[in-house]
Amino acid sequence: MKNESTFIDVPAESSSAMKGKAPLIGVAKDHTTTGSGGYNRGLSIFDFLLRLAAIVAASVAAGTMFTSDETLPFFTQFLQFEAGYDDLPTFQFFVIAMSMVAGYIVLSLPISVVTIVRPLAAAPRLLLLVLDTAIMGLTMAAASSAAAISYVAHNGNQNTNWLPICQQFGDFCQKTSGAVVSSFVAVVFFMILVVLSGVALKRH
Amino acid sequence: MAKESTTIDIGEPSTVTKSTSHAVADEKKKSFVTAAAGGGYKRGLAIFDFLLRLAAIGITIGASSVMFTAEETLPFFTQFLQFQAGYDDFPTFQFFVIAIAIVASYLVLSLPFSIVTIVRPLAVAPRLILLISDTVVLTLTTAAAAAAASIVYLAHNGNANTNWLPICQQFGDFCQTTSTAVVAASISVVFFILLIVISAIALKRH
Repeated sequence: MKNESTFIDVPAESSSAMKGKAPLIGVAKDHTTTGSGGYNRGLSIFDFLLRLAAIVAASVAAGTMFTSDETLPFFTQFLQFEAGYDDLPTFQFFVIAMSMVAGYIVLSLPISVVTIVRPLAAAPRLLLLVLDTAIMGLTMAAASSAAAISYVAHNGNQNTNWLPICQQFGDFCQKTSGAVVSSFVAVVFFMILVVLSGVALKRH
Repeated sequence: MAKESTTIDIGEPSTVTKSTSHAVADEKKKSFVTAAAGGGYKRGLAIFDFLLRLAAIGITIGASSVMFTAEETLPFFTQFLQFQAGYDDFPTFQFFVIAIAIVASYLVLSLPFSIVTIVRPLAVAPRLILLISDTVVLTLTTAAAAAAASIVYLAHNGNANTNWLPICQQFGDFCQTTSTAVVAASISVVFFILLIVISAIALKRH
């Protein structure tokens, strides 16, 4: 269906006058479709690039946490002196969740390409928005729970006699903190992706 | 802009053009009808959005106040351990109370925007504002809920490798109350996800 607005006076005019109006019909071509299509395409390309960056952020987070083992060179009779991500269930959850998030983003790349190729289609964008919102929740959950445990590891808790293990395991704490920061960066990327999809849906 | 598609052959007698002008008027009416129908559908979504916000306000205020009042004092004492537990003993729980309170006040402030989307279902700007701010607040809520959940998990199970003792063995009531608050905050996260999806569906033009 063409989006044309042509007004044609009905009252009796001579056919020569109507013939004179004939060229107007072809002129009112709607350029706004291609205009917003180009804008949407730009948004889709930015979306695709952000996804690539988010893959990097998520996999860096998962990898850093996964390889954050540390073994201390000394030993006493009392304390454990090896620390790894699998000593803390929250960090286990973090590694698994961030790996799932990285896998999801890789799988969502084709859908993003579809939105670049067909900038005016609403269904892929809506699907991406819904999935991105859910995955953003997962990422944020992993990031903030790991952050809470990192905080306790750094500072301890006097009221519960939880000792700050970072005093002994400096490298381990540094790596896990780096992983947590990287996952927060991934969350920021997801937020921008969700807002992008919303804006692109609006300009349909 | 009226969405018409009329092809009129120039050079035909005026009676033919008169009948096609009726077709033009009919299609104008049709486009108005579809606009009103789209408005009705979106109005339904907006009403659902408003009700979800009211429910989320209730839940977040509940979560924040439950955590705030989660104190327990044990009837016995030893020389070694603390025997009072409150939300302010844990910085994560302090963050939880403050963040969920901020989320609750955000929801109250967003109610007028939601009412505007009910009254004007086809307006785009309020919905987009709601979508963006809901996304940000979803992040905050998830952060608070997840961080508190990890501390609650630690309190329930402890950690053998780091010699962190599970305090829930002694502070049963405190642990129960904080767990309830965390569950309530998680439910509000689900509500926020629903709110965002509703805004996105309503933004999509027909």
